[in-house]
Amino acid sequence: MAKKITNNIRRLRFEHNEMTQQMLADVVQVSRQTIVAIEKDKYSPSLEVAFKIAAHFQLPVDAVFSYQ
Amino acid sequence: MSYKERSIWVSLAITLYIWFNYFSELYWSSQQQSLSPERMQSALLTVVIWTIALEILHHLVIAMIDHKNANYDQDERDQKIALLGCKNGYYILSATTIIAVLHLLFPIMSQGLVLALNLPTEYIIINIIIVGALIAEITKFSTQVFYYRRGC
Repeated sequence: MAKKITNNIRRLRFEHNEMTQQMLADVVQVSRQTIVAIEKDKYSPSLEVAFKIAAHFQLPVDAVFSYQ
Repeated sequence: MSYKERSIWVSLAITLYIWFNYFSELYWSSQQQSLSPERMQSALLTVVIWTIALEILHHLVIAMIDHKNANYDQDERDQKIALLGCKNGYYILSATTIIAVLHLLFPIMSQGLVLALNLPTEYIIINIIIVGALIAEITKFSTQVFYYRRGC
């Protein structure tokens, strides 16, 4: 089976004071729809956005995203 | 549905509506044996005017409905989807160029079209290019809508 990039963003948002998708979108400077697509594994973000998301949650990238 | 996706849906609808009218006009004129270069030019001018008017109206209405996102810039996902749409549109335009050149080199291949439209050959070429550009535009919008829905 083909591997794909998955993520824990949804869980991390809730662990960070129930942060909304819009708030995260504003932090990483993308649209809310892009955050929705990333959370549903419908879009793999660029390295830059992946690092921005990880930096916001103060975690390494591989704690937010995984390739499986 | 994002501002950008909504805008693409409306542009697709406008494109289909305007060009359906254009080709209907061409078809009925050719059926009545009244298709002339002047009539075609007039239909083309109508297309240009309607396209400009409806696109302005569409952007105004969408901006009024969703004024918060009216100044929204494309993010990386929008850019990627736009690129995929343009790539598919480009293939169609390339094929159109080849067909237009083939029509010029081997007019016998499109003799049926020449007889049906009863227009000078340069107007046939214009219509081949218009059809190709239209299909390319529809392909571009459809590809974008597809990737917005399915993900990329």
